[in-house]
Amino acid sequence: MTFTRRFILAGATALATALPAAAQELPGNVRLVIGSTSTGGDTYQNSSIVADALAEKLGINIKVDAVGATEAFKALDRDSRGTTLMIFHDQSYLGNLYGVRGYQDIFENYTVGPTVAINPGNAYLVPKGSEYQSMDDILTAAENGERVRVAIQPGGVSEIGFSAMKNAARVRSEGSEENIVAVNTGSQSDKNQTLFDDLADVINGSIQANEQFTQLPEDDQKSMRFVWITARPATLEQAPEEGMGDTTRDQLLQYASPETSVTLDGEEDFTFDKEFFFLYNPEMDEAIVEQIDTALEEIYAEGEIQERQKASFFIPNFLPSDEAQEHLREKRSTYDEVISQISGDNS
Amino acid sequence: MELLDIISPLFLALIVGGTFVGIVFGAIPGMTATMAVAVCLPITYSLGLENGLALLLGLYVGGISGGMVPAILLGIPGTPSSITTTFDGLPMTKKGEGEKALRIGICSSLVGGLVSLLILWLCAPLLADFAIQFSYVEKFLIILFALTVMAALSNDMLIGIFSGFLGIFIALIGTYDISDGGNGEIRLIPPGLDYWLESGFALLPVLIGLFGLAAILEEAERGVPQSQSAADVKIGSQSTFSFSVFRGQTVNLLRSGGIGTFAGILPGVGGSAASILSYSNAKTFSKHPERYGTGEPEGIIASEAGNNGLTGGALVPLLSLGIPGDSTTALLIGAFTLQGIQVGPLFIGNNPVTWDAMIVAMLIANLAMFTMMYFAIRHIARIVTVPKHILFPIILMMCVIGAYTINYGIMFDVWTLLIFGVFGWLAVKLRLEIAPFIIGFILGPSAEVYFVKSLESFNDLTIFFTKSWIAIVLWVLIIGSVAGSVALSRSRQSTTADA
Repeated sequence: MTFTRRFILAGATALATALPAAAQELPGNVRLVIGSTSTGGDTYQNSSIVADALAEKLGINIKVDAVGATEAFKALDRDSRGTTLMIFHDQSYLGNLYGVRGYQDIFENYTVGPTVAINPGNAYLVPKGSEYQSMDDILTAAENGERVRVAIQPGGVSEIGFSAMKNAARVRSEGSEENIVAVNTGSQSDKNQTLFDDLADVINGSIQANEQFTQLPEDDQKSMRFVWITARPATLEQAPEEGMGDTTRDQLLQYASPETSVTLDGEEDFTFDKEFFFLYNPEMDEAIVEQIDTALEEIYAEGEIQERQKASFFIPNFLPSDEAQEHLREKRSTYDEVISQISGDNS
Repeated sequence: MELLDIISPLFLALIVGGTFVGIVFGAIPGMTATMAVAVCLPITYSLGLENGLALLLGLYVGGISGGMVPAILLGIPGTPSSITTTFDGLPMTKKGEGEKALRIGICSSLVGGLVSLLILWLCAPLLADFAIQFSYVEKFLIILFALTVMAALSNDMLIGIFSGFLGIFIALIGTYDISDGGNGEIRLIPPGLDYWLESGFALLPVLIGLFGLAAILEEAERGVPQSQSAADVKIGSQSTFSFSVFRGQTVNLLRSGGIGTFAGILPGVGGSAASILSYSNAKTFSKHPERYGTGEPEGIIASEAGNNGLTGGALVPLLSLGIPGDSTTALLIGAFTLQGIQVGPLFIGNNPVTWDAMIVAMLIANLAMFTMMYFAIRHIARIVTVPKHILFPIILMMCVIGAYTINYGIMFDVWTLLIFGVFGWLAVKLRLEIAPFIIGFILGPSAEVYFVKSLESFNDLTIFFTKSWIAIVLWVLIIGSVAGSVALSRSRQSTTADA
């Protein structure tokens, strides 16, 4: 009996000491949920690249699940053991700034982890035969009282550039921002179609999805022209020199700041990089955060992951958790200011 | 690199292997072609573009075709696009003609696949230009046309239409998603259930709940003796397959393959609409529409030619506009991006060898699908001889696994399966009609988005009649379909009265 009691006591002590120790490392099987339901999109692709590298480095299994933002946040809420991690991009805080249902303040309710890459492709396009040849034409038209219709998917990454356009119009001429109006659509296909149907003058798109349309002759109904690429020039300069398709990096840079200026405040230009980063349950052990940071630091130091990311037109961008949090908070604050400046004008 | 250099033993093996795996995925309720492609997508990174595409296209063709097996033998659509196959497939199985029904489905799938492949090969860029003439208005009218099949499928038109609208209503529960251009707000959710229902009910769990679990519950209630098999019949005991069944079906085959292709080229219209539109048309133009739903081979021909017609059609917008035609081809974009290849209006011109390799891969995948399924079907069809007490628990387990995995591990999808299983079982007792219900459920969300977007864009109801000549043609088809259904319903009523 004594032996049994001792045995149980010893077992319990061993378990008690073992549990915290086990909690300090990622488990052997990790579920990486992403904020997109598409397994063909940039979030899945980038997450897969990072998951593969991380799994190999740590000798664990990581499965990427494209459950979408709502379900991903729910899954993250349920699990503080490190079994569930999340990768998403700027939509995670922009959704909250735009008041989209299901998006909480990620800086309050979750732990923001390291950034891993940037998709520099966010762009705005017009029909090739459009009277608007540049962003300056668009903002001047708004200033002159012309209504400019911009097709976007509301509530996030697609809308932030539109908000910036309105803000730039406001800075140039107070009240002219009311002439830049949103046409709310869904997928890229829907946005393109609004241009083909003459339901929009400008659409949100991407370098990757729309570049070939810019190569079509002007008499083709489908032909388009870039007017603005929102990425920072420093980001776009890291893209492959050959650019995308038949458009070189130098040509792409013509549509980005400072060559194409959409002002933020009359002095600086507005820019937006779509950045991918980790999100964790706020209760997750700090040691796991450090473990992932350290592993990613080593992975990026080895340099192979950058090649895979660049091959898929991503710009590698590793920042450890602390730096990432500071950087993303600053970014959010800028966009919060832009949205506040134009609030009430998004008609 | 020339095309002949690409067609290596590995290329051929990947197509055949992919087709086989696709058939297995399609044949398991809850597993789909999309899932098969998603699972195998990472492998393509190391295979290179053409070999990777060979594997994925094999999976695609196999997955769409495999869905007919449980649809015909068990009445459970293996994929959403095989839903209309259940309408005549299961009655044929119950009559002891399961093997014959499968062979009809396999041959129709081959013809549908080849028709769409031919159209893809000859006219992809032209069709893409045609597809962009379809704005929200025309897309809404196509969905409305597909919805008219609700009336045609109903035993009692009034109850059928009510069931269809109930399906639409339930499909709209959840969020008007911003990814559809909506406002992101929830609607139609009972108080306190926001957390569970904000994403609404997913299609596949609803489908397998209504068709799979409900049937199992019904059988359980009936309490069948152990010795009996699932279909209560010996396979192929009543009638054997002969190619003569296709006599007089050339128009049906070509029309259904063409309709499937057409549905595929319109992004957002969806794979399920392909077979529903084909089935609806075949019934409208049939000399004996009253036989549809009772085990009519024409119905299987239309459905299977239609859903395989989708395979080539869905590649048209992908390869000519860079826009996927359905959920599976959306994944193919990932395969191109992994290899650093852009898809868009210049793809075919810039990548002629890859384009040719895709056409060859599709052709071989269709032939491989036909060969594998046609000659193995006698063995596959024996599933109906497995005693129910063994078969049904296995099906139930597969349904639960399928429901859980379809959206990458959401437990509420399993609850959805169970809820709709019980609903389907009760609905029959309440004389509700399941076929119109599920059609309403499938098409309702698209109808809503295109209707709202049409009004937002044009702010005028008359636009549905005046937008284009395409709209006029679609209205003619809608009126024809409704008139046909009314005539059929009246003829049924008079037959019942005479009897």
